[in-house]
Amino acid sequence: MGPELQAHIAFHLTGKRMSAGLQAAGGLHLRPGLLARYGDLTRLRYDFPLVLVADRADQTSIQSLSALVNKILQDIAPRGIEGEATRRHLLRLEREIRTLAANGETGTLSRLWDLAAKRIGAPDDSALAGSLSRARAVPQVDGEVVDCTYRLPAQLVTHAWTALQQRKAKRRSLEFKRLIVRLSDILQADFIRSRAGTSAARLKASVGTGMEGAFDFEALSNALAQVSGKDPLPAGRRQRVQQALAVLIARRSGTQADIGGPDDLQSCAFANCRDALAAFRDRLPKIIELVKAMAIAELEIEGRYVEATHDPFFADFDEGSVGTKDLSLLPDYLVFIGSESLHGPENAGLMEILASEMPFKVVVQVSDVLEEPALRAHLGPVATAAQLGKMAMGLGNAYVVQSCSSHLYQARGRILAGLAHAGPALFSVFSGSARHAGMLPPYLLAAAAMQSRAFPAFTYDPAAGPDWATRFAIDGNPQPEADWPVHEFAYEDEAHQRVTEQLAFTFVDFIACDPRHAGHFAVVPRAEWNGSIVPIGSCLKSDSSPGGGAIPYLHMVDGDHVLRRTLADEKMLSAAYRCREMWHGLQELGGVRGFRARPVTPAAPAAVADSTPAAPATKAVAEEAEPEPRSDDPHIDTPRCTTCNECTNINNRMFAYDANKQAYIADINAGTYRELVEAAESCQVAIIHPGKPRDQDEPGIAELLKRAEPFL
Amino acid sequence: MTTRAHECLMRMYEEEHDLESYQGSIPRWCSGCGDNAVLAAVQRLCRDEKLRPEKTVFVSGIGCSSRLPHYMKTYGFHGIHGRALPIAEGIRLARPDLHVFVNTGDGDCCSIGAAHWIHAIRYNMDVTVMVHDNQIYGLTKMQASPTSPRGLRSKTTPRGACLEALNPLTVTLGIQNVSFVAQAVDWIPELIYDILSRAFHHKGCSFVRIVQRCPEFLPELLDPWLHDPNRILLLTHEKGLQVSAALGKVYKNQLEHDPTDLDRARAIASAGDPMPVGILYQNRAVPRYEEMRAITPLRTPELIQRGLETEFDKFTVWPREPAD
Repeated sequence: MGPELQAHIAFHLTGKRMSAGLQAAGGLHLRPGLLARYGDLTRLRYDFPLVLVADRADQTSIQSLSALVNKILQDIAPRGIEGEATRRHLLRLEREIRTLAANGETGTLSRLWDLAAKRIGAPDDSALAGSLSRARAVPQVDGEVVDCTYRLPAQLVTHAWTALQQRKAKRRSLEFKRLIVRLSDILQADFIRSRAGTSAARLKASVGTGMEGAFDFEALSNALAQVSGKDPLPAGRRQRVQQALAVLIARRSGTQADIGGPDDLQSCAFANCRDALAAFRDRLPKIIELVKAMAIAELEIEGRYVEATHDPFFADFDEGSVGTKDLSLLPDYLVFIGSESLHGPENAGLMEILASEMPFKVVVQVSDVLEEPALRAHLGPVATAAQLGKMAMGLGNAYVVQSCSSHLYQARGRILAGLAHAGPALFSVFSGSARHAGMLPPYLLAAAAMQSRAFPAFTYDPAAGPDWATRFAIDGNPQPEADWPVHEFAYEDEAHQRVTEQLAFTFVDFIACDPRHAGHFAVVPRAEWNGSIVPIGSCLKSDSSPGGGAIPYLHMVDGDHVLRRTLADEKMLSAAYRCREMWHGLQELGGVRGFRARPVTPAAPAAVADSTPAAPATKAVAEEAEPEPRSDDPHIDTPRCTTCNECTNINNRMFAYDANKQAYIADINAGTYRELVEAAESCQVAIIHPGKPRDQDEPGIAELLKRAEPFL
Repeated sequence: MTTRAHECLMRMYEEEHDLESYQGSIPRWCSGCGDNAVLAAVQRLCRDEKLRPEKTVFVSGIGCSSRLPHYMKTYGFHGIHGRALPIAEGIRLARPDLHVFVNTGDGDCCSIGAAHWIHAIRYNMDVTVMVHDNQIYGLTKMQASPTSPRGLRSKTTPRGACLEALNPLTVTLGIQNVSFVAQAVDWIPELIYDILSRAFHHKGCSFVRIVQRCPEFLPELLDPWLHDPNRILLLTHEKGLQVSAALGKVYKNQLEHDPTDLDRARAIASAGDPMPVGILYQNRAVPRYEEMRAITPLRTPELIQRGLETEFDKFTVWPREPAD
């Protein structure tokens, strides 16, 4: 075994560089090979920047600049060569807007559009100006332009939440109006029917000018006195209606902090769970009062208020009587916290919120998934903040969306669904932070976290169905059926030939982006590249436990775009295995790779199948075995009776109707055989069977028997 | 997940009605008249669906059929000849909270009311229409109706009716937006109930033609179908009617027909004999007019006042400046 190999093995097992050959990874500005192509994001066409469109409460409230430009091009640029110039102009503009946004320029799309147009020389170039003005003429949306920065999660979720709250406020206002109008109608109707409402003065006012002279209002009022004033609204009902009306009118004016109009949204956004919970508890009595008033109003409007049953219920109306749907009209509470502030009482507050039914939407921005554990117990990085989402799912009640900030555009549907969900929701978003990103822009760091399964995306919707299969989804992740996503990696070898490889982007690649952990990596000089070091993807592919014998390396690219092979030590490998385990768990839950829990008793369904055929068999036998009523007994096929009254008109004590108004023989002794035969003859559907006569001495029995023959 | 507080409370106190509580006045139809079967079926439906009498309305035109609202202890509107359907549509728009049933006859619907019939199907408002088709004008004592068979002698056709009878099923199936067409016969009360129940639950204009006997004027016309079960074709399907075992033993002539198949429904309706009984067509996707045109701004007193002010302002006469 050569000395180089020994040094490699030593580094892999211990993490310490023993020879001069291996170089330290830090200071070389290394980044994973697969990220090498994404040096300058402004030269790429991708989802960002986003445009946050105001006044929309659905998915179109968050749009991507590229998608918008594509749509404009579809409208104004014909296919083929004529549209080429327009396409080029517009794409240049898009790139300029992207650069502006990446450099921190803020503002609406129209503002950035104008700025960018000026920068690329639109006023001077008439062709360019022409294309741009045609593009501008297409009806467009406008909104705030945001890039993938560390503030993106807060901006995006606040935008979506604001739109939803405004829509809710409109619905609320409409609902209050409806209840107020209907309750007022009750009081109004009662007034119109009362003596005061039919006084001469009121009658005169209701006729209006012009026709006043035609009526004698005193006489009219006296005539109405005979019917008015009778049956007024009971005092209890009047009081209930008036109280409910008072509460609703007070709330509708929207000055109360608990039920606010659109400009009161700030009272519902908080920076920590403790404050949010405290505010909710403070406002709870007013909320209870409002829900109670609304329930009473609905009952009174439908005329279904029953004092005996409902009075005791409303007397005890407290927070236990208020359900999630009742709160669905009231504003939601939005809480923003950074993962580093989640400890102690804040954590407890978060768990309390997520386990409840209160309409709280919590956004936890995770800036770091690779904290070193407090005790350096040779464990390497542990991703604890990434587990918050899974813990929340375990509570079963909350809508959970876990995502990275790079993926927020694709996840917008889920985010809106979570915000619209009736109960609590948790949005756990990894955005990274400048301190630990090394050279990577926030977008790439977040994307790397998702690709490497360090922070996989998933959604848990408790209302989607009864089981995990319907509630849980991991389809937002790249290549969800694989351990790690595999991409094509192309580079140039010494002979200037193009070589392509299939590279996996693993957890170790992600750790390599973080300068804090540079000590776990060592660069192998070109001269020492040999077959005993293998790409880390194939090392991890084997399902064997750590210590397989091969020494893993990563493809990394330095500041000069030169490919380097970088060894990773054993702690990295263990961390990767742990990460893979957790990812496998998510795959199992999400039904990928067919890891569903095996059925416990496969024999049971067969047993059930055996027993059910027996039941219909016995029932069928019973039906057959049921003795046909002897044709001697008079009877009626009651289910076929058409209620035509023929038989009941003949004798309504012998023939009667059952609960379904179909005839049967109620009392055979209440009539004669003659009446039975007559009824059989007049029955429209011939379902009366007279049977044999009980009294053989009845007059004309022979003739009756002959007549009864066809009906036996 | 959970329901609103008031919905829970309303369910706490639900009233139970029996058949008798829906009985208005004593029916004055001839004994043996098929209208009695329809009345019994409708009362059973109201009882089984627990319809609140103050939330139910029966609308009719003129004819024997149209006496039905008098015999139901619910709201009723006995309107003018041929206009049951437009009145029902108006009720539907003004009071969307009421269950609306329409009782009309072959004359009321297919003769004088023909124009309203076509457009009622097009508008597809959520009403349940029962056409009591006894193939004669009964109340006015025996004149030929559009559905009277050719050759029928009546007071207006003493030498026999010269036209082929109109087929209300094929006409209705030919109208755009049709969403539910079924046929029942009054001598199978179990199927009247099943079909009416399906018609009630269908959201849209449910057109049910009930072939009915008139014991007074046409006592034998339908005897061939009454006495020979094989001349009745029962339409069954998992999406349509399911027939009970007892009924299936008597009426063996059954056909599996998918109610979503419009072309087949039209073919079955045209065939005529054997008489199809069951659900010919059902399409749940047809939109209802009252939902398409729902008025969203709430009619508050302020809104009405604003509207009136705007209109009056158009006619305000401003005093002219005195000419110098």
